[in-house]
Amino acid sequence: MAGLRDADPFVEDSFSRFPSQSNMYGLCQAGEQQLLAATLKGKVVCFRYQDLQHKIRPVAKEVQFTYIPVDAEIVSIDAFNKSPPNRGLVVGITFIKDSGDKATPFLNIYCDYEPGSEFNLESIAQSCLNLELQFTPFQLYHTEVQCEDGGSETVFLLSGHDQRIHLYKENASLHQFEEQPVERLFPELQQLPSNVLWLDVMSIPGGRRLSAFGCQNGCVGLALVNQTGPEVLQSWRVQLDSPVSTVLLFPLSCQTEASQTTGEKSVDLSGYNLLVTSTIEMAVVYRDVQECGMSRPTYLSESDQWDAVLCALVIDLDFDGQKEVLLGTYGQELLCYKFQPPASGGQGQFQLLWRRSFKSPLLSIIYLDLTGDGLRELAILTLKGLHILQHSLTITADLVLERLAHRVSMLTSGSELELAKGQDNAERDASAQREECPPQPSSN
Amino acid sequence: MRSLNYVQRVSLDFTGTLFPHAICLGDADNDSLNELVVGDTSGKLLVYKNDDSKPWITRTCVGMLTCVAVGDVCNKRKNFVVAVGAEGWFHLFDLTAAAAGKADSSSQHEALFSDDQKPCFTQHIPANTKVILISDIDGDGRSELVVGYTDRVVRAFRWEEPSDATDLGSGQLVLLKKWLLEGQVDSLSVNPGPEGLPELMVSQPGCGYAILLCSWTQQDSAGPGSGSGEDEGPSRDVILHLTTGRIHNKNVSTHLIGSISRGSKDESSKCGLFALCTLDGTLKLMDSSEQLLWSVQVDHQLFVLQKLDVTGDGREEVVACAWDGQTYIIDHNRMVVRFQFDENVNAFCAGQYTCKEGKNSPCLVYVSFNHKIYVYWRVELDRMEPTNLLRVLEERPEFRSQLKKLGVGEFASSHVCVALTGIHQTLLFLSKKDKRLHQVAQWNTKVNLTVTPHHRLIYF
Repeated sequence: MAGLRDADPFVEDSFSRFPSQSNMYGLCQAGEQQLLAATLKGKVVCFRYQDLQHKIRPVAKEVQFTYIPVDAEIVSIDAFNKSPPNRGLVVGITFIKDSGDKATPFLNIYCDYEPGSEFNLESIAQSCLNLELQFTPFQLYHTEVQCEDGGSETVFLLSGHDQRIHLYKENASLHQFEEQPVERLFPELQQLPSNVLWLDVMSIPGGRRLSAFGCQNGCVGLALVNQTGPEVLQSWRVQLDSPVSTVLLFPLSCQTEASQTTGEKSVDLSGYNLLVTSTIEMAVVYRDVQECGMSRPTYLSESDQWDAVLCALVIDLDFDGQKEVLLGTYGQELLCYKFQPPASGGQGQFQLLWRRSFKSPLLSIIYLDLTGDGLRELAILTLKGLHILQHSLTITADLVLERLAHRVSMLTSGSELELAKGQDNAERDASAQREECPPQPSSN
Repeated sequence: MRSLNYVQRVSLDFTGTLFPHAICLGDADNDSLNELVVGDTSGKLLVYKNDDSKPWITRTCVGMLTCVAVGDVCNKRKNFVVAVGAEGWFHLFDLTAAAAGKADSSSQHEALFSDDQKPCFTQHIPANTKVILISDIDGDGRSELVVGYTDRVVRAFRWEEPSDATDLGSGQLVLLKKWLLEGQVDSLSVNPGPEGLPELMVSQPGCGYAILLCSWTQQDSAGPGSGSGEDEGPSRDVILHLTTGRIHNKNVSTHLIGSISRGSKDESSKCGLFALCTLDGTLKLMDSSEQLLWSVQVDHQLFVLQKLDVTGDGREEVVACAWDGQTYIIDHNRMVVRFQFDENVNAFCAGQYTCKEGKNSPCLVYVSFNHKIYVYWRVELDRMEPTNLLRVLEERPEFRSQLKKLGVGEFASSHVCVALTGIHQTLLFLSKKDKRLHQVAQWNTKVNLTVTPHHRLIYF
């Protein structure tokens, strides 16, 4: 392994062993500081940190979701908070009930309308809408859509083995979710070439969105859509040689401060990118997709060396304003890539920064603030259980203090120019952060 | 209970079978880096170095090795490797010379399997050995060899040689004392007593322990090795202690480890810390004034007890391993970290070992039943208990002073959140309910305040 310059900055804080295995659709964030992990044998575990006498401790507790029969095998799980002004947590679970002669797939949607218990997982788990499916479900995904009345609403998108994506939207008058034609809200998600294994949708400025999907036959689709209408502005397809495990849309930078100084770089980092991981081939990032479509691939070298890549995440894990790409592989490795800007006129490339070994294959990764300190943790679902990796607190505390000291020195030197610039940046960040920041605990 | 996964490990080849005490970590060749010493039931002594899966040195001993140890048993300010067989053969190896010889002959393809394969000293001592300890047990600054036997006997020996001796051949082990105990002795250890002097402790069944008095220190006239300790029967030189609490089976096998370091912070008490564990899952930490610090009950069969500083703060944690691979690491405040080794365990030890990077690091060593020894070499933890960034920051005085300089000192409390963004950006979140912040922000234009649906954010 040449070129591994850094050690990984994470420390494992806890590991919870699960009674049965899970899959790549088995992990989701549910609410502000907790997550749900579904295991094959019909059990759903809620993981969070409990604050007891000024000590935090990890707690993994099984949640008894109603209407999941004992012989059910869970396929996928997802959860979201309803878009404001509506309140409440919605959990969706797809499973297959195999009663011997015939396997029947279901989608259960859990959501409590009782004021006061909209976020109470125990009571949500008891109020269920049970939908029988006509297809084998795959990924359960949620995204926000613009409604006719100008408000926004979060809907479920469920891909199936019938080469279609199904949309489930809440019927406000009936207080329940129902399937609605997907083409009305997502015209880009009709007439699919194959079964979709992974879907990602991202809103971008200008009332537009990017939608990407990866298929079992290796096809990757991407569309730029005007949300009002909605109207497909442009769409692209590429064909890979193996099933696509994940697609992920992301901007490279979390802020614009770095790009402000060098004009050329800002163009390079500000666009949107599409990460595509496949089960056999190298992972690839298509750069600047809303301008170039999928014509600028950048391959993540060595990402095919540890079996299939099953999960991916793009986050700024070293707090330098530029995001890194994390890939989790079936070969029990977590890989971290960082974008190296082009030296002169080139393309720039993703370089393997570090890798970390696990004891079993990695299935899913999410990044959320479980400990309630503003710093997020990596939750990694493996075949054997759930790992929580925390940023090294000593290093991070050093960084916070260093930055505060820098700010203090700027203030005491009385440089008005510096100060003004700092505030400008801060305001710009604030707008960027609003969607980025995890919702924080309320103080009650 | 916090549970972790260690991943970084090397596997060493080991085809034999061994007794649980025939494994230890120590500096066998006096290069200040620790090696792994293993003795098997066919009499083979294997010394592993670094991450090499093949033994660095192999030696053949007489009989079935039941215990190995590394220490300055001859009081020559130099470590020797001691291997003792069940039949009572005591073997002494000087691997410092071997290390030099090995370096020389490495080019000559090990042509000379000569006399240096043999131990530099052997002696027959009473048979049925079970466990050994090299330590200063009487406080004279010199090491003694203590041997525990399967017939409930403990004997202490001292290395004696003529003052003009040039090699080990002229020295020998001299019996200092023999103690007879009521129950099986599973561990030997030394622990500072209430006065700070070392006390020899042995474990006794049912989570008990006994302190063995070194009577020769009181009766100097008799001289060491005079045989005054050969009286039969339990004597007043054995002080038996039974710990209280929930003991289900008074015959349950018990292990003990003493001299657990408290770290530099707490030197006020001279009392040594020691831990006990039983096969039915009781773990206790006590000090030599018999005060119980904590007790933990687990549902695994604990069969080894070790100590290891995994956090690097100078305080040693207690490490207990069960037959099924469940390993508990417990600190002085009863914080538990668990690790599940995925196989059944034949033997286990924990300590400093030079596996990678040419320096000693804390390691966990598991001997499996499938011809492998696994050394987990990255087992250090930042801290035993889970915590978050705010608590770490609040322990740093600079945090509060810098916030004060920025005009938000009084908000560095538990309802502030810190997030990092950008190159020089740090922001604090405050819950929306805190109206004081708004006043401060208006008063102090140095900070920038933004209100989001969830929070007020201060940017620095």
